[in-house]
Amino acid sequence: MPPKPHRILLDRVSGYADEAAAYMRRRRISRRPFARLYYPNGRAGDHADDSAVGAELFVAAGRLIEVAGRRPKA
Amino acid sequence: MAQTTTTVIQEARARDTVGIFTHMADAAATEVAPGDAAEAALAFLTEMSPDLRGAAILGSDGTVLAAAGDRDRWREDAAVLLAAADGAGPEPIEQVHVATEQGEVFALRHAGLAVVAVTERFALASLLFFDMRSVLRDLAATLAAEGEG
Repeated sequence: MPPKPHRILLDRVSGYADEAAAYMRRRRISRRPFARLYYPNGRAGDHADDSAVGAELFVAAGRLIEVAGRRPKA
Repeated sequence: MAQTTTTVIQEARARDTVGIFTHMADAAATEVAPGDAAEAALAFLTEMSPDLRGAAILGSDGTVLAAAGDRDRWREDAAVLLAAADGAGPEPIEQVHVATEQGEVFALRHAGLAVVAVTERFALASLLFFDMRSVLRDLAATLAAEGEG
C-alpha cells in the first residue's frame, strides 16, 4: 500500500531538518577563529590570527568580550 | 429595571477616555536628548538580538552615546578595535567581525555613528549586522530631526 501523502511531506520536512542540524553541528565543530573586515565598496578581507593586523584585532576583540562580560541568565 | 442603551454607554466611554489619553506621554510633544535616543536604540538592539552580551553606540568623535556597562572601557577598547581595522587597509572599514573561542565581536559604522556589539559564539552575522544597521539608521534620523528642530 502506498504511504499517505502527508507522511511523505512529513518525512521530507524531517529530512531537511536533520540535514540542517547536521550542517550546524559540523559548522560548530570545524569553525576556527577569524577576523573579517568589510569595506564600503563591498570588498572584504580575512586576517589570520598570526598576522600583525589579525593579532591586533583579536587582542581588541578579547578586551571587548571581557568588557561585555557573560550574558545574564534569563 | 431601567436599562441604558448601548449607544449611550459607548458615548460615555468615548467622552471619558479622551481625558485619559491627553495625560499620556505620547500626547505631548517631548524632546529627546541624544543620550536618551541612543539608550533607547541600544535597548531596542538588545531586545532584538538574543545572542547579544553587550554593546555600545559611539558618536562620530568616538564618544560613547550609550553602553551596556563601563562607558570608558567601551570607548577605549572600541577605539582600539576600529583603529586596528582601519589600519589594515587603505580606506576606513564599514564592518568588522571577529570570531573567537570566547565570543564574537561585531562593529559597524553608518551615518557617522558606530555600534560595537559582543555576542555569544555562532551568532548569525548577517542578521546582527542588519539589526545594527537599522538601529543606527533610525538613531541618525532621530538625531538629525532633533538638530533641525
